[in-house]
Amino acid sequence: MKISYAALWVLVLVLFFLVGPFLVVFVAGFSDGETLLFPPKTYSMRWVWHVFEVESFQRSFVTSMWVGVISTLVALLLGVPVAYALSRASLKGQEWVKTWLTLPVVVPGIIVGLALLNHMVLVFNLPVISSLIVGHACLLVPYTVRVVSSSLANLRHDIEDAAVTLGATRWQAFFKVVLPNIRAGVAAAFVLAFITSFNQVPVSLFLTGPGVSTLPIEMMAYMETSYDPSIAALSTVLVVFTMVLVGLTEKLLGISKYV
Amino acid sequence: MLPARLAWWLLTPALVFVGVFFTVPVLILLSGAFDSNGTVGLAPFFEFFAEPLHQQVYWRTLRLAGLATLVSAVVCYPAAMAMIKVPPPWRGVLTGLVILPLMVSPIARTYAWIVLLGRNGMINAGLVQAGVIPEPMTLLFTEGAVFVGLLQLMMPLMLISLVSALENMPPDVVPAARSLGANRWQTFFRVVLPLTQEGLIIGGTLVFTGCVTAYITPALLGGPKVLMLETLLYQKVNMSSDTHAASVIAVLLLVTTLAVNQLLKRVAR
Repeated sequence: MKISYAALWVLVLVLFFLVGPFLVVFVAGFSDGETLLFPPKTYSMRWVWHVFEVESFQRSFVTSMWVGVISTLVALLLGVPVAYALSRASLKGQEWVKTWLTLPVVVPGIIVGLALLNHMVLVFNLPVISSLIVGHACLLVPYTVRVVSSSLANLRHDIEDAAVTLGATRWQAFFKVVLPNIRAGVAAAFVLAFITSFNQVPVSLFLTGPGVSTLPIEMMAYMETSYDPSIAALSTVLVVFTMVLVGLTEKLLGISKYV
Repeated sequence: MLPARLAWWLLTPALVFVGVFFTVPVLILLSGAFDSNGTVGLAPFFEFFAEPLHQQVYWRTLRLAGLATLVSAVVCYPAAMAMIKVPPPWRGVLTGLVILPLMVSPIARTYAWIVLLGRNGMINAGLVQAGVIPEPMTLLFTEGAVFVGLLQLMMPLMLISLVSALENMPPDVVPAARSLGANRWQTFFRVVLPLTQEGLIIGGTLVFTGCVTAYITPALLGGPKVLMLETLLYQKVNMSSDTHAASVIAVLLLVTTLAVNQLLKRVAR
């Protein structure tokens, strides 16, 4: 069947609406002027370089990287066993377990952040960075469970049973037979979870303080006081960073089937 | 097959972690909302809605989320239908263009609208130069700005849901309906829509929930003038240190999203 031209036009407009804003930010980021202007009068790389020199961006970038990597690792350590258990055993409370573990994405992040601050951090006097990691990890568990589960669903159940019959322990069967086969799924889960944590704002909102802050929170704070093109330049840098990360994983592992 | 006892050992760490660091604190926070000076009940909610500003914020949140859901459904149906007919090499490029924005920081995605809609932004500058308006209009920090920002942020979710629903529809039902005498609209409403309603419901739930719980968009494009539930909650905590009001808003956020999710599921049946 042929494509209707009206529908095709709508598609083109939708894509333009979705992607156009990126082009605007991209162009504005290469402006040479002191204030944000689109389209800029003259172009240069100065704001792009400037971004790497702002101290608050440097510091919060490092925090975001640490929080992203560690909370993703925690979420994988918790989530992979869950995905494995749910796919290889039939349990009575299975639905209940799934609901319990998807709640963190159902409840708005701002509530999670406030609840952690008031009823965990302040009560037990936890350091800011650990509360950020814990809050992000809760949010990421559902993602890792989902992605690793769909990777496990494509793996035949009987190969590990065969390994066990041949004398391997359950432990060996998992590490020597199952894990090598779901490597791609685990890596995709890592990338998706890391990106989710790196871009996360609502959960972090109440958990960051003057000393420790994540990059997105720092960007929002910066916007309130200055109107120069550095946020546009930083956004451009982040878009390129994400594109390279996603592009590489897509090329190597095919991440798009897990989204 | 994994023995049940072993399976439970594998599940326990995650269940306990989420329980301790998520479920318990959130339940304590939410239960605080029902408490007013020692008596438990719904009184705090009546008090909350007694304030005209709060009513206004609540209805604005529902209105913007509902409108964004409706508009994205109407726009994404034709777009998704065109998309599934695009030949393979281009198809992958288009899918990438839809998925990629989802992975980029929402701040970067929202920032473009500040550039475009600001007092000296492209739209104002263009209109002034063309002589349409004498001086720049206020476009930023309006409900319209928040709406456009939300729509751009959430539309990919609707588009992806509809594309996968349309892919699962048998392709020959449309020509079959047409050859039996149905016109385009009849074919859409009586064949395509019923066969893809599950995707529509999923997309609608994602968009609506995403809009109600969005923080960055109303914070950057609405500011203190155009508050939504999330930005109101933030204000209550950070400016007036009113944790009780914050927990009331938290309950409202949760109840609203859950109620709408259930409602949409009912409609599908």
